[in-house]
Amino acid sequence: MAIADIPILSMLRARLDWSQARQRVLAENVANSDTPRFHAHDLAPLTFEESPLAASGGLTPVSLTRTESGHIEGVGLSQSPFRNGSSRTFEVRPTGNAVNLEEEMMKVAANQMDFQTATALYTRSLALIKTALGKR
Amino acid sequence: MAALDFIKTLTIAASGLRAQAGRMRIISENIANADSTPQRPGADPYRRKIPTFRSELDRTLDTQLVELGKVQTDSSAFRIKYEPGHPSADSNGNVKYPNVNALIEMTDMREAQRSYEANINVIGATRRMIQRTIDILKA
Repeated sequence: MAIADIPILSMLRARLDWSQARQRVLAENVANSDTPRFHAHDLAPLTFEESPLAASGGLTPVSLTRTESGHIEGVGLSQSPFRNGSSRTFEVRPTGNAVNLEEEMMKVAANQMDFQTATALYTRSLALIKTALGKR
Repeated sequence: MAALDFIKTLTIAASGLRAQAGRMRIISENIANADSTPQRPGADPYRRKIPTFRSELDRTLDTQLVELGKVQTDSSAFRIKYEPGHPSADSNGNVKYPNVNALIEMTDMREAQRSYEANINVIGATRRMIQRTIDILKA
């Protein structure tokens, strides 16, 4: 049994992966805050009841296989195992841009805090295992 | 795979920084040329430039980056001043001045600055998240 198979650790890992994917989506929103006709995106909240990766703890999205050693490894589209949720914004600028910078910054901060909570819990869980093993 | 997400985040934010810096360059060009009069009598002076943004797919990282698109020109009318003694004045004594409004440029500059700082904040937040991940090893 690998260390990542321990339920609490695999759940935390899923949480970290989700935060990481969300950070990318938020960065896209912020970078495109002046692009015409751009609408903000967000990820759907992570739920463990229906999440396919929570049960097994493994992330196995469909990806391209490298058939020749000289080829560059491809990155498959829609490889993220997380669902895309819509982000509701209450204002659309005349250029058709619907990114609210303040809202995005709040989300970035909240996402960072979520991530820190998950890493702190991960560290604690590892400490728990160390305690069970006995201090050297 | 997932480990690449932070790198993607940083690349996206960096593309935002680059685009806003390019916008700043165009704004400064406009402000610097706010009083550039025509070269020859009766000719057109400096025309205000407008930066545009567009998203671009980075194929190696499979992400939507933002970049500065084609620079457009402002088609609004020039400011006309009656200065008969000016070397660039036309036969009626009118001189065309650029269609640059300092107030609009300043507002635009603030907006660019705000977007730039937002991207910087994203980079800072991502950096702290990476640091937290490394901290797991230290525990």
